[in-house]
Amino acid sequence: MNENKIIELGSNKDPLVLDCGKSIGPIKTAYTTYGELNSSKSNAILICHALTGDQYVASEHPITKKDGWWSLLIGPGKSIDTDKYFIICPNVIGGCMGSSGPNEINPESGKEYGLDFPVITIADMVKAQKLLIDSLGIEKLFSVIGGSMGGMLVLEWLSKFPSYVFSAIPIATTTSHSAQNIALNELARQAIMADPEWKSGSYNDQNTKPIKGLSVARMAAHISYLSEQSLHEKFGRNLQDKNNIEFSFDADFQVESYLRHQGFKFVDRFDANSYLYITRAMDYFDLKSSNNGSLLEAFKNTNAHILCASFTSDWLYPTSENKVIIKAFNALGLNVSFVEIDTDNGHDSFLLNEPEFFETIEGFLDATYKKL
Amino acid sequence: MSLFNTDKDFNVISNMIPARSSVIDVGCGDGSLLKYLDKNKNINGRGLEIDQDKIRECLAKGISVIQGDADIDLADYPDKSFDYSILTYTLQATKRPKKVLEELVRISNKAIVSFPNFGYWKIRMHLLINGTMPISNELSYSWYETPNLHFCTIFDFIDLCEKTNIKIENKVNLKRHLIQDYKQKSWVDNCFSESGMFLISKK
Repeated sequence: MNENKIIELGSNKDPLVLDCGKSIGPIKTAYTTYGELNSSKSNAILICHALTGDQYVASEHPITKKDGWWSLLIGPGKSIDTDKYFIICPNVIGGCMGSSGPNEINPESGKEYGLDFPVITIADMVKAQKLLIDSLGIEKLFSVIGGSMGGMLVLEWLSKFPSYVFSAIPIATTTSHSAQNIALNELARQAIMADPEWKSGSYNDQNTKPIKGLSVARMAAHISYLSEQSLHEKFGRNLQDKNNIEFSFDADFQVESYLRHQGFKFVDRFDANSYLYITRAMDYFDLKSSNNGSLLEAFKNTNAHILCASFTSDWLYPTSENKVIIKAFNALGLNVSFVEIDTDNGHDSFLLNEPEFFETIEGFLDATYKKL
Repeated sequence: MSLFNTDKDFNVISNMIPARSSVIDVGCGDGSLLKYLDKNKNINGRGLEIDQDKIRECLAKGISVIQGDADIDLADYPDKSFDYSILTYTLQATKRPKKVLEELVRISNKAIVSFPNFGYWKIRMHLLINGTMPISNELSYSWYETPNLHFCTIFDFIDLCEKTNIKIENKVNLKRHLIQDYKQKSWVDNCFSESGMFLISKK
C-alpha cells in the first residue's frame, strides 16, 4: 500500500512548461501514499518534503533502511493519522529518488541529463505536484503540509492553486531567501563544484562521484539546521575517543567527527546535481516579487484554514521570517493561526520528536476536518 | 485573573456584539469566550494569546489564534481589520496600556475593554487600614510577583480616554449585567464597581 509508485504525466506534445521557458514532457513523479482515499476524496493530505527529503515520509527508506523522515508524526493513530487521512508524498522534480531530475535519463540524448536538465523553480515543483493530484482525481486537498522548503511549496500551493487547498500548514519557512540563506546555499554549491570529481556535472557518465564536495555541502548545511545551544549541549568541546588534542587535523573534537559522519552518510542517498538544482530553486523563490511586489496579491484568492509554526532557536528561517507570512494572512483577514514552539533544536526541530508541536498539528487538523 | 469567567459576563459581551461580526479577542486564553460568541452570535473570531498551552486548547476547539503579545503584535493588523476587539482583564498587565487602547480602536470599529477597578471601596479600605498593597480573591498576587503592571481606577480610565482619541460609547454595570449609555463620570461607579467594562471607539 505504501510502496513507491512512479507515474509519468503530460507528454511530448503536452509537456510541463517551466518558469525558465523550457519544457519537460512527459514528467516523472515518484510518490508514496498511506491510508485510503475516501469515496468523496475529501481526506487527502499532501506532504511536501524539504531540500534533502524525499517521498519516504512514513515508510522505510530503501537506501538508508531508516524510518521515514516524518514517521514520528505520520502513521496509524499518530498526530497525522493514516487511519483517517490519505497521505500523498511526492519526490519533487529536480530530486533524485525517481522524479524527473538531473540524474534521470534525457530521452533526447539517451544519457543522464546532468546539467542539461533545465533549471527549475519552486513553482515548477508545485505544477508537477498538481498534475499528480489531478491524476488521482482529487479536486480539493484537505491539507497541504511541509516544513522548510516544504513550507515554500505549501505557500506556492496557496498562491497558485488556492481552490485546491482547504487547509495548510507551512512550517519554519519563508516567502523568499535572505542574503544569508543564499550565501549558505552558494557555499554548498561551490563545495560540490570545486570537487574535481564533479566533472561539470557529468560525473555519472564518467563513473565517478563528487563525494567530498557533496559531503562538505551537507556539513555546512547541517550546521545551519542546528542551534548554537544544541551543538553546545551535544558536543561542547568534548574530544572524540581521546583524552588529549593530537596536534593534527584529524577529528579531535566530537563535533568534527559528527559533521564528517553526517556528510559521508548523506552522499549514499543524495545526488550532487540535485543538490545544485534544488538549492537554486529555493534561492529563486520570491513570492513577493513574483506577485507584483505584494504578498497580499500572492494570497488574495485563498480562503484556506492556515496554521503557521516556527521554532524559537531556528536561525535559518527565524520566527521573524514566518511572521512576514502571518502579517500578510492577517491583512487578508484569513483564518490563520500561528505558534512559535519553544525548543533548542534549531531549524531541524520540525523533523524531531517535539510533542508540543505534534499536538498542535493534531488539534488543528482534527478541528479543521470537522469544518469540511 | 479569575474576575471574569461566568456565563453571565460572557452574555453581557455577547449582547454588545451583533451577529456575524468579526471579532478579535486579545489575550483570548483557552478560547472560551470566542467559542461562546461563535455559538451564540455566529461570529468570525480570531484570538491573540501569549501562552502556548492555551493556544493548543484554542486550536483543538477550532479557533484561529495567533501567538503574540498585545504590546507588540497588534501593530501587525491593518486599520479596521475587525468589527470588534475585546480585551478582558488584560489592560493592567500590558506594558503600555495607552498604546494598546489606541491600537484596539485602530484595528477594530469598536473595542470592549474590562479591567479591575482600583478605586473600588474595598481596595481603598485595604490600603487605608492595612497600609499594604491590596490582595483579594480577584487581585490575588503579591506586589513583588504580580503580572499586573498598570492598575487604574474607572476615573483614571475615563480620563485617559478623554485625553486620547478615544470615545466611550457604553459602560456596563457588571453587577446587574446592564449595558448603559455612557454620559459622564460617576462617583458611585468608581467606588462601588469591582471592575469596569466599557465599549469604546475612535473619536
